Amino acid sequence: MKRTAPRSTLRKIIKKHKPQLRLAANADLLVHLSFLLFLHRLAEEARTNAFENKSKIIKPEHTISAAKVILKKSRG
Amino acid sequence: MASRGGGTPAASGASGPAELQLPQGPRGLSPPPPPPPRNYADHNAPRRRRNYPPHTAPRPLPALARVSREEAGGGNRWAVTGPAMADRRPRARPGLRRSGHNARAVAQTGSSVENKSKSVRSTLAKQGLGVFPDLRNGTPRLMLKRVMQNQPQVSPLAPQISNHEDTKEAHSEVPSQRVSSMGELQLPDVAPEDTSTTVFNMKKKRRKFSISEFERAAESRLPQYQAQSALDSTVMTRSLRMSVGSLLAPDTVEKRGLLRRPKTRRAVDMQAFEGRVEQNLLKSKGQNDLVDSQSASVIRTSMLTSDAEMMMNSTELFVQPLLDEESQNKLSALEPQLSDSKTSAQRSPISDADQEEARLEGLVSSVSTNQERTQRYSKSTGLDDEHVDRMSHVSPETPAKQGEEKQDHSQQSNPVAKISVTEEEVVCSVYRWNSSLPSKSSSTHLGSPVTLNVSRMHLRQVVSHIIEDLEVSDTEEEMINTENGVEQKKIFQEAAERGASAGHSEHLEKKLAEKAELQITAGHASRGETEVAPSAGKEVEEGSTGAHSSPRAEHEITRGIGAESLGRPSHAFSSFEKPEVTPVDEIDEQGDELQDQAMMLNLDSSVGEPAEDEAEQPESQEVSMKTPTFVRAPPHKLLLSAKPAKASAPSSPLKLLQPKTVPKRLRTSQKKPREPQVPRSLIKAIFRHFAKMPVTRDAFQIVEKCSERYFKQLSDDLEAYSHHAGRKTVEAADLEVLMRRQGLVTDKMPLRVLIERHLPLEYRRLLIPVAVSGNKVIPSK
Repeated sequence: MKRTAPRSTLRKIIKKHKPQLRLAANADLLVHLSFLLFLHRLAEEARTNAFENKSKIIKPEHTISAAKVILKKSRG
Repeated sequence: MASRGGGTPAASGASGPAELQLPQGPRGLSPPPPPPPRNYADHNAPRRRRNYPPHTAPRPLPALARVSREEAGGGNRWAVTGPAMADRRPRARPGLRRSGHNARAVAQTGSSVENKSKSVRSTLAKQGLGVFPDLRNGTPRLMLKRVMQNQPQVSPLAPQISNHEDTKEAHSEVPSQRVSSMGELQLPDVAPEDTSTTVFNMKKKRRKFSISEFERAAESRLPQYQAQSALDSTVMTRSLRMSVGSLLAPDTVEKRGLLRRPKTRRAVDMQAFEGRVEQNLLKSKGQNDLVDSQSASVIRTSMLTSDAEMMMNSTELFVQPLLDEESQNKLSALEPQLSDSKTSAQRSPISDADQEEARLEGLVSSVSTNQERTQRYSKSTGLDDEHVDRMSHVSPETPAKQGEEKQDHSQQSNPVAKISVTEEEVVCSVYRWNSSLPSKSSSTHLGSPVTLNVSRMHLRQVVSHIIEDLEVSDTEEEMINTENGVEQKKIFQEAAERGASAGHSEHLEKKLAEKAELQITAGHASRGETEVAPSAGKEVEEGSTGAHSSPRAEHEITRGIGAESLGRPSHAFSSFEKPEVTPVDEIDEQGDELQDQAMMLNLDSSVGEPAEDEAEQPESQEVSMKTPTFVRAPPHKLLLSAKPAKASAPSSPLKLLQPKTVPKRLRTSQKKPREPQVPRSLIKAIFRHFAKMPVTRDAFQIVEKCSERYFKQLSDDLEAYSHHAGRKTVEAADLEVLMRRQGLVTDKMPLRVLIERHLPLEYRRLLIPVAVSGNKVIPSK
């Protein structure tokens, strides 16, 4: 079930962090895309961690360790 | 197919197709010298293969001859002769096979082709076997054939099969070797089909052989196998095998071989499985026991401080922890029905209620469902009824699970205002609440009845005061009162807090006790509640408005107590006041405080409760006071004790008063600016889609935090990039640079591809320029 990208919400979030910054017309779509890919990477990493632990469920510890790695990678 | 007979066929074949003896009905030439009849039964007996040596021509010749003859006959003949052939000719398996192969191959090609081949073969045959041998023996198939022929006899089953095969092969050798193959199948089908099937058969047969060998070895050990083999040996089975398609035959053979083992294993598996099941059950039970023990422990702590009645009651609690939930649920369902019966029942069990209240008082502290209760009270005044139901149904039910369920149900149920009932219910519910957190409303109810039971002069005095103050006596009001009472209690609690004086608290507690007693003595529990409720409501209002006067608190408290005989220890109350003296002007804050107070009360009560009655009263007050506040401030501690719940019971008048004020505050206080957040559901959906695995709820929390962090990082980076480019606006190029640095966009993976992959069409259309006819580009730049 696909959902539409929360364009206005993304704009608000960026505005909250950086009030002086503006966004181009369709730039928020790319922001949404980057967010999707970030989640994708995070999910893959968490999945890998869960597999390594021979667990069939993704648990918080898997996610935390995955987040550490992926956030570092996504710093740009 | 007399032609088949040994080398003569060749000659006969050479004689020409015309001389084909195809139509010979009695093809059943006695097994010519060539292939000795396959007697699988005698498989030990030396098997005589055809005369022709494996590599010699005669084999092919005869086959060829036959084939040629049969070919001449035509495909139909093959079909006709096939079965006949199959029946008769025992041939060496390999021979059969090979011939079958050849036949099949030929047959497959089609009648026309076969005809051609026939002609070719016939000519070849005429010319001499030289050519044929090459075809027959030189090709890989022929080689295989030879190998097959030369294979040693296989297991008993094999012989049977081989018999079939031999016969089939023999048939196949006949000019319609293909036909014979078909015949093997005993399916006079179209040639091509047969050939295909026969080909398949051939393959299967090979397998059978291998298996048969194995089985042979095993046969000696396994009588079953032999029996099976015996069965197999029957013509029927053979025919079936062949007819049904060799597909099944080999499988059955294999399966038979495998069947033995599982039998022994299964026995063990079952036992192990049962053992595991038992273990699981034990584990589940253990968990349940743990839960019960925990609740019981809580109850016990409270109980210890309480009277002997409490102790007795505690035992009951433990006995029926599980029942509570069920009973609660049932009760809630049956509330309307029980309402009538409840009133009567309530009166009778008042004594019981008292006892329960006593317990509850002790337990109230432990119960922290004020918030819930308040909510529920606000929702509906039917709590009273529910409580009544509970009372009647399950006196010692442990509230743990009931409370929540009950309250939900109760709230939904029609609130037949029966304050007396509510009181009783409160008593019961309080009792229950103590054992379990969720039952707020019950606690409030319990408060009042409990106070009734408790013989505390001070409470009674308070109650009397409350009664005097209370004016509303309608049933509706009663109902409202019950709710208001809860609110009142809350207010009391608040006021007590504001008073910030232990003495006040104690005094208040006394008053509450008095109130409770008064209520009891009044004999109009409902009225008492209503009286208490309105007074409590008034007090609540006062308190809400910011009255920090201890006397007010006392008033409120007394009212609250009157509404709910929370006999809990003054300790709880005092302690309650102390920690939370923070003046609360707004209801929300009050609600929070109440909640905190309830927490404290709960804690204190659990620690040590000098006076059950007192505790109950303040608790009830708190509950009543807290219910409205809690409603306003939902996310606050859900762990609040049952006291607030108790208070909620009789605060019907309070409810009348509070709704007027509460909404105002709600609007003003709830205008907290919401931080923009990516919707949780979206994050969940995306993450779950990408993870393809179940994810725990806690993991989702972490994902949310990560996403927030990510957006923060993202905005920093974008700002840096745009600033570096001397712009104040973030452009798509900046985004691309970011993704490139993140490693998402590479030389191999352009941004466009990512867009196409992950974004829906609408967005793709916006991002990727597409050229359309008319020298137009969309989106237009």
